[in-house]
Amino acid sequence: MNQNNMSDKMDGIWVGEKDLNQDLAYVSQADEQSRVRPDETKAEPEDYQANRRDFLKYMGFGLGAATLAASCKTPVRKALPYLTKPDSLVPGIANYYASTYVDGGDYCSILVKTREGRPIKIEGNSLSPITYGGTSAKAQAAVLSLYDTKRIQGPMVKNDSKWESASWDVIDEKLGKEITTSSKVRILSNTILSPTSKKAIGEFKSKFPSTEVVTYDPVSSAAILLANESNFGVKAIPSYHFDKANVIVSFNADFLGTWISPVEYAHQYAKGRKIKDVHGAKMSRHFQVESYMSLTGSNADHRIQIRPSEIGAAIGFLYNAIAAKTGTASLVNPPLNEKAAAALGKIADQLLANKGASLVVSASNNIDEQKVINKINEALANYGSTIDLANPSLQRQGNEQDLAKLISDLEAGSVDVVIVFDNANPAYDYPAADKFKTAFGKAKSRISFAGTLNETGEICNVIAPTNHFLESWGDAEPKKGLLSLIQPTISPLFNTRASELSLLKWADSANVNWKSDAPYYEYLKSNWGQNFIGEESWDQTLHDGVFNFAGHTPLTITNNTVDIASLKLSQPSKSENEITFFETVNMGAGQHASNPWLQELPDPVTRCVWGNYLAIPVAFDGVNKFVGSFGLENSDKVKFGLPGGTVEIESTHQFGQAPNTLALALGYGRSSHGPAEVNVGVNAFPHCQLIDGLVQYYNTVVQAPVKIASNERPACVQYHHTMGVEDIDKKTGKKINADEAATVFFTYFGLAKQGFQGSLVDRSVIRRSNLHDLEAFVTELKEERKEFQHLNDQTLYPTHEDFWGKGASWHMHIDLNACIGCGACAVACMAENNVPVVGKKEVSRHHEMTWLRVDRYFYGDAHNPNVVFQPLMCQHCHNAPCENVCPVNATNHNSEGVNQMIYNRCVGTRYCANNCPYKVRRFNWLDYMKADLWPINEPATVEGEESPFMTDNLTRMVLNPDVTVRARGVIEKCSFCTQRIQEGKLNAKKDGRELNDNDVKVACQTACPTGAITFGNINNKKSQVAHEVANPLNYQVLEEVNTRPSVTYKSKVINRDATIEA
Amino acid sequence: MIYKIFRFSNLSLVLLLCLSTALWSQANPDAGKTLFQNNCAACHAKDMKTKSTGPALAGAQERWGNDADLYAWIRNSQAMIAKGHPVATELWKTWGPTVMTAFPNLTDDQIGDLLAFINGTAAGTYGKPAGAPSTTTVPADSQPKGISWVWWVLLAVLGIMAAILSRLIGGLNRLAKIQAGEEVEESRSFWQFLSSKGMVTTLIVLGVVLAGYTTVINGIGFGRQQNYQPDQPIKFSHTTHAGLNKIDCQFCHDGARRSKHSVIPAMNTCMSCHKAIVKGSAYGTAEISKIYASVGFNPNTNNYIPNYSTMPEKEIEVIFKKWIGDNYLVDKNLKAIDREGERLMDEQWKGIKSSLTSPTKPQIQGPVEWIRIHNLPDHVYFNHAQHVTVGGITCQQCHGKVENMDVVKQYSTLSMGWCVNCHRETEVKSFSSNDYYLNQFEKYHQALKDGSKKKVTVEDIGGLECQKCHY
Repeated sequence: MNQNNMSDKMDGIWVGEKDLNQDLAYVSQADEQSRVRPDETKAEPEDYQANRRDFLKYMGFGLGAATLAASCKTPVRKALPYLTKPDSLVPGIANYYASTYVDGGDYCSILVKTREGRPIKIEGNSLSPITYGGTSAKAQAAVLSLYDTKRIQGPMVKNDSKWESASWDVIDEKLGKEITTSSKVRILSNTILSPTSKKAIGEFKSKFPSTEVVTYDPVSSAAILLANESNFGVKAIPSYHFDKANVIVSFNADFLGTWISPVEYAHQYAKGRKIKDVHGAKMSRHFQVESYMSLTGSNADHRIQIRPSEIGAAIGFLYNAIAAKTGTASLVNPPLNEKAAAALGKIADQLLANKGASLVVSASNNIDEQKVINKINEALANYGSTIDLANPSLQRQGNEQDLAKLISDLEAGSVDVVIVFDNANPAYDYPAADKFKTAFGKAKSRISFAGTLNETGEICNVIAPTNHFLESWGDAEPKKGLLSLIQPTISPLFNTRASELSLLKWADSANVNWKSDAPYYEYLKSNWGQNFIGEESWDQTLHDGVFNFAGHTPLTITNNTVDIASLKLSQPSKSENEITFFETVNMGAGQHASNPWLQELPDPVTRCVWGNYLAIPVAFDGVNKFVGSFGLENSDKVKFGLPGGTVEIESTHQFGQAPNTLALALGYGRSSHGPAEVNVGVNAFPHCQLIDGLVQYYNTVVQAPVKIASNERPACVQYHHTMGVEDIDKKTGKKINADEAATVFFTYFGLAKQGFQGSLVDRSVIRRSNLHDLEAFVTELKEERKEFQHLNDQTLYPTHEDFWGKGASWHMHIDLNACIGCGACAVACMAENNVPVVGKKEVSRHHEMTWLRVDRYFYGDAHNPNVVFQPLMCQHCHNAPCENVCPVNATNHNSEGVNQMIYNRCVGTRYCANNCPYKVRRFNWLDYMKADLWPINEPATVEGEESPFMTDNLTRMVLNPDVTVRARGVIEKCSFCTQRIQEGKLNAKKDGRELNDNDVKVACQTACPTGAITFGNINNKKSQVAHEVANPLNYQVLEEVNTRPSVTYKSKVINRDATIEA
Repeated sequence: MIYKIFRFSNLSLVLLLCLSTALWSQANPDAGKTLFQNNCAACHAKDMKTKSTGPALAGAQERWGNDADLYAWIRNSQAMIAKGHPVATELWKTWGPTVMTAFPNLTDDQIGDLLAFINGTAAGTYGKPAGAPSTTTVPADSQPKGISWVWWVLLAVLGIMAAILSRLIGGLNRLAKIQAGEEVEESRSFWQFLSSKGMVTTLIVLGVVLAGYTTVINGIGFGRQQNYQPDQPIKFSHTTHAGLNKIDCQFCHDGARRSKHSVIPAMNTCMSCHKAIVKGSAYGTAEISKIYASVGFNPNTNNYIPNYSTMPEKEIEVIFKKWIGDNYLVDKNLKAIDREGERLMDEQWKGIKSSLTSPTKPQIQGPVEWIRIHNLPDHVYFNHAQHVTVGGITCQQCHGKVENMDVVKQYSTLSMGWCVNCHRETEVKSFSSNDYYLNQFEKYHQALKDGSKKKVTVEDIGGLECQKCHY
């Protein structure tokens, strides 16, 4: 882009304002990964000179060391057989068990891969009618939390504010005395999906009649529950069908990322977004009304920017616009900004044109606003088609008003015992946590079931730790009538006990066989026998993991009248600045803070890791520069006042955010959750407002942030490993290809040159189109690709087509239209391939090791851009630039078209990483995983701090035994999950049958909730990938540089309406 | 000038010495075995004693009497028959019109190897451990790896002789010069000789070469453990199990056909036989009791011990000492334990205890900690199922004749070169029968059909590519 006639309407794509502004500092950082680490160069004094003596010293040492090493005895290794080998287990072959990932109301049906009895990987369960084999980043990472070193290792009792280990008998005896039939007991919990847990709680209640269950959710959907109760007599979240909607309008609801059941919704959503045939292509149209750019907003065709407090006004405006057309009563509507109003007026028309095939959802936690949403959907005849309330979702059941009541009860001293169920943590995630903590102390017995010590557990006096879900039996009912089983995949690692069993023990239940080896299993099975299935179908259900209960009766809906005029919508604030608080796909409400895979997974939109960052809107200064609001540079450390106190935090610039608004992620700043390095960021919960007892995830009392320090090295991967940047020639002022301006400074025949590497301009990184000019786009694309092919065919190198025609040739296809950027693939890749976690400091130096990154590009209107996500991994080029620069041939091509990386041959020159146009190769700067043969060789420290991840024996149990753990000094990159390819081929060979699509599925492909990734043998014309690759919307990244990649992308297509300006 | 000639012969002496060591070689029956399997086994019986499509090969060398004729016969039997060689004619009478395939490409060495294998097998000496009487063949295991000590001695003697001769020639030369009236330098002392510039330089160069050679050789050998033969906690004998009792390898190593690991059998696999076989042929109760002590089987009462994992060591000791003692009484036909019996009980119990415990495993209960013999580096992926089930390779090809090993040792180098060579040479056996191969590699199938390719090797289908084994 030329600076001289810059505007806020862009032709190309961009990653942030640094590349829009041609930031020089950025330019010089672009090839950071391949540079020598600054502290390494510092190690030698400046006048350092190697001399002959040193040479002899090192020679002598080298010779001596080699001789010593050679004469050393190889250590004796032992091999331990099983005493009694289970029939189902063959060492070296993975077993898969169907189970369920449940975390509060979050649900995902999964298969757990175990090797020699250790769970090592989570896959989606394709039999599930809810998730259809999709997973989320959180579900993928859950296996690591099993091996969390901070897990509580057994029951504990607090004595004089010090925790002491106790036996279960001691705990049971102590509580047997403390909990009596007359004690007033409260069970404090997040949403419980398990019918059997509820039964156990029921038994506990009948033993101790003054027991009440208080359910709340850290990120609440209480308003939907209450509005539905009042409107329809059903206190539940409806089942939504995004696949059946032609027009989707979402007010703040991040339904693809975090809202209620994102894996399910993403699957449905992608169905309506994938384009099969260019001819007569159809897509749903998605409008997102929000202030901060959420993951869902980034996928929308149109984003309508509002300030956080305008949410009521926006909902009301849409209602009135529809009511005006349908002739129903209108409501008193607060004022709304003009731009949004104009857009919402047009949206109303489109919704009405798609009656019965549209869907309006809102994450607003205001009951009246949710009632209006219900009215809108009623007016659009969506009930029964895109909304099903008779078979509702049970994934959110909490109401924080009950928690407020508990606090007042506690304060009045009318509660004796509080049992904090599983991981509920109000001391951290309730806005009035301080009030809760004070009141909580008044209960005599405070019992926590938490598996890891959390803020609420800290202020309890007994901890009766529950099992990890991978160690326990259980069940879940995420939707009425759709059930899931949880089965253990490993014996409990520590002295823990299922929380249900603890309750039943204290209630002295007669329904539990305490002598049994697995009392809760028997209890669960008998409960299922009574309510759902008989013995005969138990094994099949356990095998499938999911169960559709035919005997379930849909709920009856009553249509109560609503007095529209009496509804009170939230009023827009007059305050200058406002702030939104939101959940992220990785951290949720903070339960996953100690999970390093999730901490290192970049937020899809801000692309920051390890912490939450204050998002600052970016604006065009009207001349030639994009600048952050409040005069802040990108990633400045800032300080500002919020109702919950002054906050000091790192900031980040965010395109598409409404002016004068700020945004901050929830779930960070845990105070008691593992080592210091995971307690990163700032807790945003105390700054949320409580209105009528309901938590509002925004605040209007905000000071403007003030810079306190600049931050040279933010842990933000947004500008790492980029390939889409252009440069301006300083002399001529002309736009040039930055890549051709070569690397760093060098002189050539007296000509000084300066430039940077890894950045390409006007290259085919992203192809995008709009639905209504799709056919023209396809013609253009075809022409352009033909031209590229023509150029590429003028090669001097011989082609290798014949070579790859012998056997299989592996190919990947990625549909950019189906990719929502959720990051499940990135975590799956880390889990499958033993990719190291490096920590915040290392990320800030561009040293992140991820094999698969999901690049985020903006395009369109710089003030309100559209977004495209691009999962990028090694492209396995058939004409690979990395291969011919390796001096030791450690990276080369095989006959199956895969670019191989051989760690044991690599000497670490990093030439390949420099020469890779896609920037997908990673160098092990440190021995992050302690994999070196000689421990003396592994200073696993980062500027003096020991690398805390994946180096202890407990955490290392998660490693995949089929993949080498890389030591320091080698390059690594995506291998197309070669271990899976080899396994799939071997299985086919062993059975003596043809290799088919189901034999080889790569980790990112199976993790994807939307089916965006297809992988297979392209030489097999029957394979799905061969079919996908024939699509005319396909292109290859940087096709013109003749790398001939093995990854094909399908162009991004949006369904924008040109008449709507937003 | 006769002395000049002396000087010359001094050098040629050393040369001769070197050459003679290089010429040293011996027939290798192992290579012969491979040759036999590839070329002869189709028609000649493997035991060399029964007749098959072709005659039994035992004694063939004696029958022919003349090696040259036999070699010619193997290379082209029809030519010999045409020539009318008496032995050839006799054979043709008996076996014609079946024609023996001609093997014109076999070298003398190869035929020598082949005959060594045939004779060894016929005499029953091939494959027997070292020390067994051998006639024409030396068992592969005990074959000297380089020059034997005799040659070293010979080398040393010749070296000393060369030194003496050189001294003599030097002396004669001096005398000749004195006789001719020329001026002669003072004779150098031995020390002067050693500290001379030339000598020091030579020693340094030799030292560097030797150090470099040692470093490289040791570097290559680093982590390799060919012939590694550790003592195991249980004196389990493959000779007894796989050799004498002919238990199939995969009966116990049941992972080999389906998994990457061949799997060390679980203790309950042992128990499936040893519940009945309570005493060993070689060690009596000493070794089999270790299995019982590991899994918690009480041989006195013939049942598993309940709550064994928490049983105190004292009680375990009582059980097994009783078992050992009772058996001793039966064996010796005694009424009461004598001194010798006491000693045996103590000794065998100590054996059980030391075999089943280690610094990391103080308890007797639990699995036996076998010493792992075959260790691959972490960056190598090897899969047994691929080789056993798909490749159809016998266990012995890589592990040697385990059925003859009392104590198992690592037979192959397990080096990368060893793997790669085999992948180069081995034909993919199921290439034309396995649907997996049939549905791919059209070009190879075409080439096999039209004869432009004789066989498809593992290398051809990518068996030498790095990422087949390193990932």
